[in-house]
Amino acid sequence: MTGKRALLSIRGLGKQFGSTKVLNEVSLDVAESDVVSIIGASGSGKTTLLRCVNLLETFEEGEIVLDGQPIGYKMVNGRRHRLPERELARQRAMTGMVFQAFNLFPHLTALGNVMLGLTKVRRLPKPEAKELALSWLGRVGLKERPLHYPSQLSGGQQQRVAIARALAMDPKLVLLDEVTSALDPELVQEVLQTITKLAEEGITLLIVTHEMAFAKRVSTRVVFMDHGRIAESGPPKQIFAKPATPRLRQFLRNAHV
Amino acid sequence: MDYYFRFGVIWANFDKLLFGLALGLALAFIAILAGIAIGLVCAFASTSRNRLIRSAVGVYVSVIRNTPILVIVLLVFFALPQLGVRFDKYQSFAASLAVYAGAYLTEVFRAGLNGVPLGVVDAGRAIGLTGFQVAAYVTFPIMMRNSLPAMRTTFISLFKDTSIATVIAVPELTFQARKINVETFRVVEAWLAASALYVATCLIIAAGLRRIERRYSIM
Amino acid sequence: MEDFLHELWVARYVLLGGLKMTILISAASILAGSLLGLMTGVSLAYGPRPLAWLMRGYVDVVRGTPVLVLVLASFYVLAVVGIHFTAVQSGIFALSIFCGAHMGEIVRGALQAIPKTQIEAGRSIGLTFPRILAYVLLPQALRQILPVWINTGAELVKASTLLSVIGVGELLLATQEIVGRNFETLQFYTLAGLLYYCVNFSIERAGKMAETRLKGR
Repeated sequence: MTGKRALLSIRGLGKQFGSTKVLNEVSLDVAESDVVSIIGASGSGKTTLLRCVNLLETFEEGEIVLDGQPIGYKMVNGRRHRLPERELARQRAMTGMVFQAFNLFPHLTALGNVMLGLTKVRRLPKPEAKELALSWLGRVGLKERPLHYPSQLSGGQQQRVAIARALAMDPKLVLLDEVTSALDPELVQEVLQTITKLAEEGITLLIVTHEMAFAKRVSTRVVFMDHGRIAESGPPKQIFAKPATPRLRQFLRNAHV
Repeated sequence: MDYYFRFGVIWANFDKLLFGLALGLALAFIAILAGIAIGLVCAFASTSRNRLIRSAVGVYVSVIRNTPILVIVLLVFFALPQLGVRFDKYQSFAASLAVYAGAYLTEVFRAGLNGVPLGVVDAGRAIGLTGFQVAAYVTFPIMMRNSLPAMRTTFISLFKDTSIATVIAVPELTFQARKINVETFRVVEAWLAASALYVATCLIIAAGLRRIERRYSIM
Repeated sequence: MEDFLHELWVARYVLLGGLKMTILISAASILAGSLLGLMTGVSLAYGPRPLAWLMRGYVDVVRGTPVLVLVLASFYVLAVVGIHFTAVQSGIFALSIFCGAHMGEIVRGALQAIPKTQIEAGRSIGLTFPRILAYVLLPQALRQILPVWINTGAELVKASTLLSVIGVGELLLATQEIVGRNFETLQFYTLAGLLYYCVNFSIERAGKMAETRLKGR
């Protein structure tokens, strides 16, 4: 850990799903401008962790502190209460999320997708929102296609719109959940390049990915999750070259790294 | 076949047929508007966490869809006065058709609602939209677009159902055709004309609604 | 309430007779209509152009016309063109025509959903087209057709009420006759509604069972 204050602090996070503990004592600090990649097998809890951070899922144990403020729950007389929906919505706007399945609003154009949050959540007036949205689309390389509908865009283009949509909200950090897994191989690079650019610009990223080479290249830290726990974490060189735990060694072997 | 055609009689009475058609369209229009309101409310209600509300909607839809519309019309017109409800035949039929339409449109909108991908709802929540905002700006528009084709077939079906109004002496198209049939004995011509008018109207409505579908479908 | 139960007891045979007639009409119409619908659907999917066009015209005209108009038209027109049906017969005739057009579309859709390669496969093992239809195409189409067919049965039960307008003594007309005598209007119409509901609900249930059983294959 550097001396920097943690932008995001996950402490002892625990989540139960029926009889399975999907997240177990998960603790993680992310400083500003950190790029943390989370790797691990399917079902290891990576996606659930991300969804807990942006409050799309509930969690029973632990706490998440974003920019000094605990999110999702409040303590009342020593008992934990989920915050009301209004408050949760406000907190969700502070974290941006990009999904594996893009999840663009199909009834809105690319511009409309980026503008919706700007007009309805950030309450910007329409002309200002439009200008800002167009600039974000430009930054992800989609300047020429603002009026296209998602069904008229390729997978890579859709994902880049999704990234613009998340960034336009000016979030404190961006969560990326296997954002290239659903793409045709030739479209993966354009998205990875976009993310690399964001990392270079100092945007704090928490990335769940299977793209090991990309994770090695772009991350400041790599975290390996296994069965709901963080099994190992460290700088990319260490994680990929000298894995300490046997589970990680096996995982990297299976992933042909 | 010992019959000679005389369509002149039909032309002479064409204005009556058109009046009947217009009346049928008006009744259908009112019933559809009310039915859409009922359908939207019930479709969203059926997603409620309250089991009582969900069951109530389920019962309403099940009862109406399994009961013949003629029984509903007669019940409302003849039996409701027993409970003190006074309707004239026009109001009675419009109300019956509206209740009937509401049940079918509830199912249409429910299917449209199910077709809204959960991931897209998640994306709405992820950018900080409140529950109401997600429903208004994401779920509702997508649901409506999903429902357009089924709405088209339901509206056409409801328009055809206005012919039932004949039975309580509402002078719509079928009533007029039967009157001409009985008064002039121009049997084939009368029913041919009525059928032609119905088919033509259905085709026009279908074409119009298809254009709207093309404009709004998520293509 | 006691008045109603008394009247119900007095009228039990009339109601039962009406119910029997309703079931008779519905069954006859679905049988005749399904046969007609099968032929129509096959003609639409695989028939020569002129036949397909003829069937298309039949289907589109019938589906654009309200069932009540079909019933009334059959009642009046058939007699005039020399076919002397009773009210019941012309009613079943009209409902069969309606059912045929409806089923025709369903059968056409189900058949056209089957890839053409199935026909080629059948030909390559030496089957003639009628046999391909019977042994290869229709069995596959059945999965799509069955639930809709059962639903159409329920629709015909509901449509049978329209025959009361031409004087056929089915359940609704029976109810009207009873109410004409004892003025227990709300009660008997509600009872009729309940009876129709029960019949159709059972059909709906049967349909769902058939659907799940087919899916299990």
